This record gives sequence, structure tokens and C-alpha cells, in this order.
Amino acid sequence: MIRFDGVSFTYTGAARPALDSISATFGPGVVHLVTGPLGAGCSTLLLAAAGLAPHITGGRLSGIVSALGNVPSSADGRRALAGRIGLLLPTPWTQLSGMASTVADEVAFGPANHGWPRTRIADAVSRAMDRVGIVHLETRQPETLSGGELQRVILAGVMAMDPEVYLLDEPALELDPAGAEALYRLLPELAREATVVVASTDVDRLLEVTGRVWLLREGRCVAHGSPDAVLGTEDAVAARCSGTTAEIARSAGLPPPFPVTVEAAIGRLRR
Amino acid sequence: MNVGYVAGRGPLHRSHPFTPLTLAATFAILAFVLPAPGGAAALCALALALALFEGVGGVLKSALLTVLPFWIFLFVIHAVIRGSPVTALDVASRITAIVIVFLTVLASVQPARLVDAMVDRGLPFSVAYLFAATLQAVPRLRQRAKDILDAQRCRGLAVRGSPWRRARALVPLAMPLILGALAEVDERSLALEARGAAYVVRRTPLHPPADAGREKMLRWGMLLLAVGSIVVKIAV
Repeated sequence: MIRFDGVSFTYTGAARPALDSISATFGPGVVHLVTGPLGAGCSTLLLAAAGLAPHITGGRLSGIVSALGNVPSSADGRRALAGRIGLLLPTPWTQLSGMASTVADEVAFGPANHGWPRTRIADAVSRAMDRVGIVHLETRQPETLSGGELQRVILAGVMAMDPEVYLLDEPALELDPAGAEALYRLLPELAREATVVVASTDVDRLLEVTGRVWLLREGRCVAHGSPDAVLGTEDAVAARCSGTTAEIARSAGLPPPFPVTVEAAIGRLRR
Repeated sequence: MNVGYVAGRGPLHRSHPFTPLTLAATFAILAFVLPAPGGAAALCALALALALFEGVGGVLKSALLTVLPFWIFLFVIHAVIRGSPVTALDVASRITAIVIVFLTVLASVQPARLVDAMVDRGLPFSVAYLFAATLQAVPRLRQRAKDILDAQRCRGLAVRGSPWRRARALVPLAMPLILGALAEVDERSLALEARGAAYVVRRTPLHPPADAGREKMLRWGMLLLAVGSIVVKIAV
């Protein structure tokens, strides 16, 4: 469970806050999608939840962020949360450990850092690689992989740590459409046991698996709730945050709330 | 130019990572302790043979490119200005021996194995990571520089021609290289922290390298040789 209570965050030297008075609760059971136009603060929200903003990024944080009962902005909180929060960043090549000569060792980097016994590491690594579909890459050198393969390797590295919270920032940025859909299909499965928060603008694909949407604009949370309720509004569609289906429905002259999935659009058109 | 680890199956590749490192340290000490130019020249020959035997002959070109400016500088200072070409040969051969053996060791020790070896001996992971990351910094920066060079050439940057033109081309290469490396440091810090690298109590070495008794003896032998040569040098 991640909780934001009146959280604001401003990067050093920035004119306006990246997060502005955010109050939100993210829990397990559903996949949470945090979306909005570029610069809305979605990535910063994940970094604050992981305790990396301002710890690594610099800047000023106010309000209270709590994760699994700890305060990630404090040193003690980060120590208590190490390995319990899994963060995936959008650029996989900067997330390589540089300490692994094979994909299996790269996936094992996190668990090894936590001092797990080698047998437990081996089990976690093979299970994570199997779930992400990269078993065939096991012995490859990470530096020789494509961006999409690397993205899946890093995700497997996160999953191998078996975290209680997944913070995924544009997890399918490097993947082809089929790869992205396969990855998204995993998310509800992960959300059964863990809190899953995805920051992404890939709304069309993610709506198939998302249970709750948080719409951010200029650092503020302007709406939250079910995908239909948040993304089917005139405002969300006009701001181009709702995905293709709602935009087509609006262009076709349907009255709001606009359908946000293909199935909902077909239903509305049939009526 | 070849700097950094090269896959191979030579004796240095197969040995415990501490053995090549001890070898490099011993070479560096002997290069300055043995009488020059004979001793240093013999070490150069030995280092050359070692690189070829290890199957990393590619490092010799890098070594040549690294020591060439030193040779020119030393020749001008000692041979031309001071009239002592033997001194130039003396210092240059010492530097050459050290550079060849260090590049050979760099090409033979896989950073991941070195980290495992250091962690296995109880060294803090942060120290091991810093050491291994330093070994990898040069090949990474070279690859990045090459990528930037390719990108800038595609955008019309002329990197050939007069020395003045080449010097001017350095600015659009250096700025993205430095800024990109700095930006990457931030992202790497985020990723490493998220994967628990900042809170390692006792990292599990994934493949701790075997350390045979004879290798330990060899390392002690090399250390004794290095220390002994210093003692003899001081005494004589």
C-alpha cells in the first residue's frame, strides 16, 4: 500500500512543482494507471513513492508519502523498504548493473544484493524469466540484447526480488505491440498479491487491464476512479489523455461520457 | 583500440581474478626496481609474450597508442634537450612494460568475476562495485563517444581535414559525451538504488571463483618477489 497525503515536490531550479498537493492511495487488487500529458508528474510520483525523489533526484518534498507503513523519504524508511518496492524505469540500458555477463546473472543482481542463498536466487530467477518469457535469453550477454529484450530482462530483475509494490514507468516503451500486450497481461496477475502502479501514456492498451486511473495534469491529480469515469469525460478527451477509442467516439459525435474501450464503443454504437 | 575485457580462455582468464591483479602490481614494481634499460626491456618482452599467449594481442595496439605520446615527450626532453637518449629509453621502456601488462590484465579479468571474488573475500559490495565500474568506464565512454561521433557525422559534422578543423569538431563531441554521461549517472543511481545496491549487508556472490592452493602460492611468490626486489634495491 502506497499513500500520498498532500504531497508536493519541486525539482531544484524548477519554476513550478512537479507534484502539487497530491493525495492518493494505491493498494493491491487492481492495476493503477497514472497518466496525463507529458510533464504531468507521473514519473515523479513513482520516484517519490520509491523514496528516490528527492533522495537521488534532489529537490524539495512536502507532505507525507508512506509505503508499506514506512516513510520512503527517510534513510530508515528506505532501508526498511529495500527490495520490497520494485521500480522499472523507461530506459532499460541505463538500468543494467554492469556486473553481469549473462541475462540470468543480470536478473539475479537484485536478489544477490539482498544476500539471498544461491538456491533461492536460482529459483526466483528462473521463475521471473519464465513469467516474462525470456528463458531463451538466459545465457546471452545483456549488452548484446535489443531494447525490447532488455526491457523484459530488467522487468524480470524487478520481479525476481518478489516486491510487494511494483512501480512501472512506461514499462513497454521499448516493446513491440505484441510484447507490450504480453507484458500488460501479466499486470493483473501481479496485482493480485502486490500493489501495481503503472505510469504510462499507452492508454489504449493499458485500459484492458487497468482497474483504477489517476489523471494528472501539471502535477495535480485532476480526476481518479474507474477508467470510464476518468477518461470518458470531455476534459480528458480534449486533453488527449483518453486514448484513441474515446477520441474517435467524440469525433463521431457521441455525447459524453465517451466510451474508452473498443467493447464499450461498440455497445454504445449498437444502442 | 582495445581497452577492457575480452572474452577468452587463456590462463589469466581462467585464474582467480586476484592473480592477474597481483601480477600487474608486481610488474609495476619490478619495472621501476630492475636496472634499466635492460630490466625494463626484458619486462616489456615478457609482457608482450604474455599478451600474445593470453590471446589478447589486440591490446598491443592500444598500448602502442597509449605509450607513443610518452615516447615522443621523453625523447624530446631527455634525448634532444638534455642529450641523454639512454634516460629516455630507460623511462619509456618502464612505462611501456607497465601499460602492456595492465591492458593485458584489464582484457583478462571479467568485472563480474572480480566483484564476486572481492565480495567472497568479505569486501564491501560498494568497494567491489566501484573498482569494477572503474575498469568498465573506459570501454563504456569509448562506445558512447563512437555513437555520438556517428550521430554527429550523420548530421554533417566534418571530423576530418586540417588539425584546426579536427580540434573544432571536438566541441560537439565532448559536450554530449560529458552531459550524457552525467545524465546517465543519475539514471544509474536510481536503478541501482531500486535494485538494492545501496543497502547491501552481505551480497551473495553468484559464481565465486575457485582459488587453487597453487595460485595462492603464486600470488605470495609474486608479492615476495616485489617486496624482495625493493629491499635489494634499497640495500644496494
